[in-house]
Amino acid sequence: MSIDSAPPAAPGPSPGPHYDFQDAQSGDLGALAAIADAMKSDNLTDRLESLKRLGILALAMGEERTRDELIPFLDESIDDEDELLLALAELLGDFVQYVGGPKYAYVLLRPLENLAAAEETVVREKATESINKLVEVMDQLHVEEYLIPCIARLSSGEWFTSRSSAAGLYASAYGKVTDAIQSKLRAGYEALCKDDMPMIRRAAASNLESLVKKIEKDHVISFAIPNFRLLADDDQDSVRLLTVEPLVAITKRLTTDECKQYLGESVQKLCVDKSWRVRYMVADHFIAIATNIKDQELQEELLSVAISLMHDSEAEVRGAICTQLDGLADLATPEAIVARLQAPLQELVDDPSQHVRATLAKHIGSLCSVFGKEGTLEHLLPLLLRLLKDSFPDVRLNIISKLDVVDSVVGIDSLSQSLLPAIVELAEDKQWRVRLAIIEYVPLIASQLGVQFFDEQLSNLCMSWLGDPVYSIREAATANLKKLTEVFGVDWARATIIPKILAMATHPNYLYRMTTIFAITTIAPSVTPDIVRDLILPSLEGLVNDQIPNIRFNVAKSLEPLTAVLRKSPETTSLESSIIRPTLARLEEDPDPDVRYFAHRSLMAIDSPAA
Amino acid sequence: MVQSDLDRQIEQLRRCEIITENEVKDLCNKAREIFIEESNVQRVDAPVTICGDIHGQFYDLQELFTVGGECPDTNYLFMGDFVDRGFYSVETFLLLLALKVRYPDRISLLRGNHESRQITQVYGFYDECMRKYGSANVWRNCCEVFDYMSLVAIIDDRIICVHGGLSPVINTVDQIRTIDRKQEVPHEGAMCDLLWSDPEDIAGWGLSPRGAGYLFGGDVVRAFLHANRLDLIARAHQLVMEGYKHMFDKTCVTVWSAPNYCYRCGNVAAILEFDENLASSFKIFEAAPQEARGTPAKKPAPDYFL
Repeated sequence: MSIDSAPPAAPGPSPGPHYDFQDAQSGDLGALAAIADAMKSDNLTDRLESLKRLGILALAMGEERTRDELIPFLDESIDDEDELLLALAELLGDFVQYVGGPKYAYVLLRPLENLAAAEETVVREKATESINKLVEVMDQLHVEEYLIPCIARLSSGEWFTSRSSAAGLYASAYGKVTDAIQSKLRAGYEALCKDDMPMIRRAAASNLESLVKKIEKDHVISFAIPNFRLLADDDQDSVRLLTVEPLVAITKRLTTDECKQYLGESVQKLCVDKSWRVRYMVADHFIAIATNIKDQELQEELLSVAISLMHDSEAEVRGAICTQLDGLADLATPEAIVARLQAPLQELVDDPSQHVRATLAKHIGSLCSVFGKEGTLEHLLPLLLRLLKDSFPDVRLNIISKLDVVDSVVGIDSLSQSLLPAIVELAEDKQWRVRLAIIEYVPLIASQLGVQFFDEQLSNLCMSWLGDPVYSIREAATANLKKLTEVFGVDWARATIIPKILAMATHPNYLYRMTTIFAITTIAPSVTPDIVRDLILPSLEGLVNDQIPNIRFNVAKSLEPLTAVLRKSPETTSLESSIIRPTLARLEEDPDPDVRYFAHRSLMAIDSPAA
Repeated sequence: MVQSDLDRQIEQLRRCEIITENEVKDLCNKAREIFIEESNVQRVDAPVTICGDIHGQFYDLQELFTVGGECPDTNYLFMGDFVDRGFYSVETFLLLLALKVRYPDRISLLRGNHESRQITQVYGFYDECMRKYGSANVWRNCCEVFDYMSLVAIIDDRIICVHGGLSPVINTVDQIRTIDRKQEVPHEGAMCDLLWSDPEDIAGWGLSPRGAGYLFGGDVVRAFLHANRLDLIARAHQLVMEGYKHMFDKTCVTVWSAPNYCYRCGNVAAILEFDENLASSFKIFEAAPQEARGTPAKKPAPDYFL
């Protein structure tokens, strides 16, 4: 340990803590007694509550006494309940305003240092986070005087907990100190990277990324890279997998040549790591790693690596590399990409893991632009069509969700023949969530395929959803009709869907009659006043007298949005007084209390000036 | 309680957030006033959707409403066992109770064998109240409401709904009407049997392995239905993997509405819709997927209160 390990800092200018908040409540501050009492309560909930009100107590005590008495009190009477420690760790990070502003922020370091050594991980993490928050407002002098010794103590702590917290503090301190201390910090961090305990090396690996962003270019090469290599060669895979993110950060700081010179070997090793978790991390960050390495030779190798990850024995790894497909295009010429990706894509389409196929389906569309129109037609389209016939619904859904990308390159016509059976099958899936998902894509599909195709092939399907046994599908079906009305226009709605909706008003089951009302209410804002007058109001007539109260009160509810539409045209405003109000008035006299309530509410809404 | 307050509480509970202790007290008082007016044998009109055990599985109750429709648009009859075992008994029961108070004609709640002081102290509801409120007041208020809940419902004079089943000391519906139900569930007798019994492929009556209630056979069901001019017994109380199960020539049906019971049984759940002409259809649903659930509690129930 090469940082000076100073003895614990004195707790501020205090002569010595004496905790008598009792006189803080003298005068009109009686509530404070309660807070102070509750902090000593046996009940955890009470202590937790009182902690939340600590700011009030601090305000009442004033900045000086908060520093001299309250903070030392909190430090010494540290609780043993993790929940409380966590709350305290968070609170102290926001306490600067109560101790006298940034110039006194350092007094909060001491209790936080203790919390940073706590046993429970979430407490330590929160304490580290709070210390880093304090560092933002502290000046160089205080950082050097208080924080650096604090880091030194934590880094040399006997118990692993404090050393692991220490790793999270170096980056924020680094930018705030002189060169001499920076070099000590680097040495201290290096020691953590070489720690005997894997937990510490993990902490060092996961914090290396933020440190890399703070240090000068020279030190990236002389300090960060050697330590990265060390960690990337660690015998624990849990350490190695954490080096992928620092690797990305390092590549951003280097030139292409330097990347090749310093990192090439390590990258290759990580890519073929024997632990799949490491390979997964590489696959998941593949584009980020590759972006900054512009060397042609290395890129060529990376493409080979990507292809080998597509063949990986672990499904998780294959899935992760599928998410990076669109970025692979930058690694080689389009011709080379088309040539080299074909075979692995073929295999992924038949991957035994449905999760991999679903991920592929979601991302394969992005290759269309790389393959170009002809390449897509020749190489990708057959794959897309096969995925559209996949046995796992998510695979099909993912293809459909990205149809617009495909459409922009080759036009959707090339797909429509296969699209239809896929949609129909999804629309009839026994899992209602699958049906729900496909409904949500229908407006997109409709806008791509055009009105004629829609009327011929999909219109009946959309109407059949209105009669789905599952309520939320019926609900989604009504929202879908609204969107379709927006896509194809009001005249289309009047001619095709509205008559079909209104036909359901005579269904023998009340839940389906209700769907009619929901559908009307939902599409109302998208239709014209004359449609409401000519088509909708007449068919509501029958439903007003429905024998089931649930129908009647839903009619009452729907009259409010319908009135808003009628008011849009001078020709229909008069219907408000001739039909809407008398109907609601009648419903207000209904034998069922819920009908009366909703009728009354609609009347009130119509009358309110905002309406 | 003002209507808009209640509507706000319902919104809050629908998000699986608890309401304050005082609000619970108010709500329970209001609910008791409604239940006290209801007979032991609550008359329910079709159309109605009937549901079985929920057991504190709040997110699965939300799933139930997603499939069946929201209250008050859809009418519901719940056949008891709202609490215990799941993580959210408090939110589940209070939501149903708030809906009952807000829309008394649109939702009916029957008492199950878990709506009892003794059982809730063993199977989780008591601990959950202590954990979420820090005192037993909410539990105590809820238990008082339990005592007032109806035992049986009859839909359109045709279908009798009860949590458990029949009792050897009850031959007619009128005998159920004479029970003094406003008490803790007794260890024996008619009231206990209605909440505890199970149908079984036997003749006549049998001893129940549960230690309370009886086993009853198809002949018992037929005799009871015939004597009371009814068509069907709908009941809950027993886990069925397919969500529902017909017995005795479709004269008795079990409806179970807690999918993946106790978060590990792997069963599907069902609700039974009766339309206005008593045409029936089952709606099957599965447990809410992980992304539809809130973040699970970080720690298991602490034991320092016990």
